[in-house]
Amino acid sequence: MHNLILKAKELLENKIVSVIIGFETGSSGKVRPVFITDSNKADSLIFDERCIQNLAVYLTKKEVKQFGKMGIVATLPIMRSIMVLISEQQLSPENVVVLGISGDGEVLDFADITVMQHYIEKCELGNPAKEQDMLATLNRLNMQEKFEFWQKEFSKCIKCYACRQSCPMCYCTRCAVECNQPQWIPVQSNNLGNMEWHILRAMHLAGRCISCGECGRACPVGIPCHLLTMHLVDQAQSYFGVYAGISDKMSSVLSTYAPNDKESFII
Amino acid sequence: MARIGVFICHCGENISATVDCGRVAETIGKLKHVAYSTEYKYMCSDPGQTLIKDAIKEYKLTGIVVSACSPRMHEPTFRKAAAEAGLNPYLCEMANLREHCSWVHEKNDMTTEKAIDIVRILVEKVKINNALLPIKVPVTKTALVIGGGIAGIQSALDIANTGHKVILVERSPSIGGHMSQLSETFPTLDCSQCILTPRMVEVAQHPNITLYTYSEVESLDGFIGNFTVKIRKKARSIDEKDCTGCGLCTTKCPQKKIPNEFEEGMGFRPAIYTPFPQAVPNKPVIDREHCTYYIKGKCKVCEIVCPTKAIRFDQPDQILEIQIGAIVIATGFDIKRTDFFPEYGFGKYKDVIDGLQFERLASASGPTGGAILRPSDGVVPKNIVFVACAGSRDPAKGIAYCSKICCMYTAKHAMLYKHKVHEGKAHVFYMDIRSAGKNYDEFVRRAIEEDYVNYIRGRVSTIYECDGKLIVKGVDTLLGAQPLEIVADMVVLATAGVANSGAEELAQKLHVSYDSHKFFAEAHPKLKPVETNTAGIFLAGACQNPKDIPDSVSQASGAAVKVAALFSQNELTREPLVAFVNRCSPPLYSTCVGCFLCQSVCPYQAIEREEFKNRDGKTIKTVAKINEGLCQGCGTCVALCRSKSIDLHGYTNNQMYTEVMALLNVY
Ligand SMILES: Cc1cc2nc3c(=O)[nH]c(=O)nc-3n(C[C@H](O)[C@H](O)[C@H](O)COP(=O)(O)OP(=O)(O)OC[C@H]3O[C@@H](n4cnc5c(N)ncnc54)[C@H](O)[C@@H]3O)c2cc1C
Ligand code: SF4
Ligand code: SF4
Ligand code: SF4
Ligand code: SF4
Ligand code: SF4
Repeated sequence: MHNLILKAKELLENKIVSVIIGFETGSSGKVRPVFITDSNKADSLIFDERCIQNLAVYLTKKEVKQFGKMGIVATLPIMRSIMVLISEQQLSPENVVVLGISGDGEVLDFADITVMQHYIEKCELGNPAKEQDMLATLNRLNMQEKFEFWQKEFSKCIKCYACRQSCPMCYCTRCAVECNQPQWIPVQSNNLGNMEWHILRAMHLAGRCISCGECGRACPVGIPCHLLTMHLVDQAQSYFGVYAGISDKMSSVLSTYAPNDKESFII
Repeated sequence: MARIGVFICHCGENISATVDCGRVAETIGKLKHVAYSTEYKYMCSDPGQTLIKDAIKEYKLTGIVVSACSPRMHEPTFRKAAAEAGLNPYLCEMANLREHCSWVHEKNDMTTEKAIDIVRILVEKVKINNALLPIKVPVTKTALVIGGGIAGIQSALDIANTGHKVILVERSPSIGGHMSQLSETFPTLDCSQCILTPRMVEVAQHPNITLYTYSEVESLDGFIGNFTVKIRKKARSIDEKDCTGCGLCTTKCPQKKIPNEFEEGMGFRPAIYTPFPQAVPNKPVIDREHCTYYIKGKCKVCEIVCPTKAIRFDQPDQILEIQIGAIVIATGFDIKRTDFFPEYGFGKYKDVIDGLQFERLASASGPTGGAILRPSDGVVPKNIVFVACAGSRDPAKGIAYCSKICCMYTAKHAMLYKHKVHEGKAHVFYMDIRSAGKNYDEFVRRAIEEDYVNYIRGRVSTIYECDGKLIVKGVDTLLGAQPLEIVADMVVLATAGVANSGAEELAQKLHVSYDSHKFFAEAHPKLKPVETNTAGIFLAGACQNPKDIPDSVSQASGAAVKVAALFSQNELTREPLVAFVNRCSPPLYSTCVGCFLCQSVCPYQAIEREEFKNRDGKTIKTVAKINEGLCQGCGTCVALCRSKSIDLHGYTNNQMYTEVMALLNVY
């Protein structure tokens, strides 16, 4: 933590970045994101096992971008989100400095994106073990049971779109659900419409989700919607052999073709 | 308020036999906003079209639905009729009652109900159709011909003679292609060089043709009428202006033992060489891979002997960028070599040769001066075996197709042999004799009846060497599949014709399709054999599939006409059914977020970047933009775009949604 604060101060004092995006302890004692522009305030930065939010979501927000160059406290999912955002031209590598945090909480110094890429390559990239177990349980259900499971879950959805807002990859200025000419996805929350929304969101993140689980954590009614995108993480891996967010020059699996692509999913 | 006209066609009886057209017309006539609904026996006929045009005027129709056959068949017909009556052609839709209904169902009420549904959803669609204007693109009236074989030569000359500029790119040091290697040609047995050379010279001298030999296409951008090609002009290592083609250098080059490609490896050439005496241009090139100077850094004999000091060792490759409007691909073919055949000795036996090698042996300018001498010891073979279909029509070898030319050239080879070695015996193993073509079967009959060539119907299973002889084992299927053994002095394999090397890479550079054998693919096997799927790019000759000279030349002229037709217009009119990325007022400019995932998905490279700048010239937003000249309206990008920022004119999200909702009876 001490190293993190020192590094943040150094970046701010030397005007290398204008803002540091990190974690602090909020008034109620809970962890919350913080945006530090004054090096004197950098002492409030913390990092511990509670700091799991995917802060990369802020990198594309204009309220944050307006500060100028951004520094960000980044765990592996955040680093991978940054890679996706750069690949998809939502973030310029010149505009971000990554204060990497290793799996055991050490501060990592990344001279540039390539160094970060080498670090990511060495990490375990699959879904977290807990989610992988839940997926395995779900996948043991038959088609009908699975459908019923999800229908029951989706019936709770209030279409608040917190899942979307929390995901760094949902950076669209106008989400497909807001498109009303035509209104493909109904505004109101009903069974069919909820199902449509979740299928749409999952497909939009297929091959782009980096398994942070933020969407599921953000859901106020406890729908495990992250399991949908994480299942697609597995699929992208087994069909195309790729994980998202491992380099700054990736194209999404759904928008590229290779002659040796498996076609077993074509029915 | 929409006033829609609906015209139900019987298509003779094609539709009316199973669909109650009267009921369809009546039911549709009662729909809201349908101002006129009628039926007729043949809507595409002159009276049918007149009926439509009159109704448009009389009922002041704002849109029409012609319910007939497939739009692939008659959409242009009816859109033109609508336009003639003053209605924007894109306010005319077709409902396919034939392929989608009458042809695939029995006659009953449900079939008629389905027909009503098909028409109904199009009535809803056409109500929200927008009038569209055709897209105009200018045409650069210069053609690029790739490949200088007989097909490329013919195309280049034909186009040049219509008064248009042609760039001819040939990758080897001379034009001529395989025809320049042939001895005499079927079915007339005239000397190949004698008929080819004048054409080659004409190319070189034609004021409208710019010839780049020893050059290859590096990349291609753009679209029909507006391509930009980059050509790599490989360093010849001589100055073509200074070189007079005297050839002194080629005689003095100390490096003399390089297998001669033109002689199919049956002779040698120096490191500085012209491939053959009639080469066009008649200027040598230094083969840097084999030149002593490039290998060891010492030699320069050619530079010393050159009377005009034309040698340029440090000449770099040159990249030329040229604007062109149309392309003819004429990169030809190649044949499988003898090493493709394990059963015939993997190319180990010197006296088992392929057809092109035989052409060189029979050619007066070839390594033996036209005498048929076997390569191993230079002896005249007394017993010669020709094996047709070597590799062709053999799915086990991965080549299921017929190479088309082998039956004919095998007959020619047997004949040439008999003309030169009167006492010799020629045997031909064949599967079927395919000699369709003007004077072709007569030619084969002549070989059999006048030159006594022994035709054996059957395949050769193995060839092996024994005591300096080649033992050819096969069967004669006309004699009850009797095993047969011929002791031969020489064997000629009519090996399968295959795609030329580099065809796949070239196809990818040009974005044209190719088949599983890497031959270039035509747009339609029957009706568009000269076109590719990419507008403005045409095919000529054996690059499409193995072909003989008459076929190659005819197709080459066909391709030239396609190019000339294209160049007869100053502007091209394109269907406006293309994609567009939405635009709105600043600061948003577009709902596009500039992820450019659509860019990699577009099969036609039609998606570009557009930058919006502020007053200081700083880019504030970068969004996708469709190049209307390139977009083919496939809609892939529309489906991909997450934020639904792309739509397709004529098939907008809104139109599709409306159709679906109409089907669900929401309207
Ligand atoms: C053994 C044999 C005997 C034959 N005898 C006869 C006969 O008697 N009568 C008859 O009608 N037909 C005969 N043919 C067929 C004849 O050779 C072909 O019909 C003819 O050569 C086809 O011409 P083309 O221009 O399409 O291709 P090619 O002759 O193959 O010419 C293609 C040209 O394109 C060039 N090229 C290739 N790739 C590129 C590239 N990427 N960029 C630039 N240039 C490129 C090549 O260097 C070549 O010059 C015979 C064929 C064989 C194999
Ligand atoms: S759900 Fe799809 S359209 Fe909506 S914000 Fe996410 S990626 Fe964009
Ligand atoms: S887990 Fe959820 S929030 Fe995280 S990347 Fe995947 S979809 Fe986005
Ligand atoms: S956060 Fe939960 S309730 Fe809100 S839209 Fe997503 S799944 Fe539905
Ligand atoms: S049009 Fe859509 S897919 Fe293309 S760059 Fe824009 S947002 Fe991305
Ligand atoms: S419609 Fe097809 S061709 Fe046109 S831009 Fe989109 S993907 Fe490319």
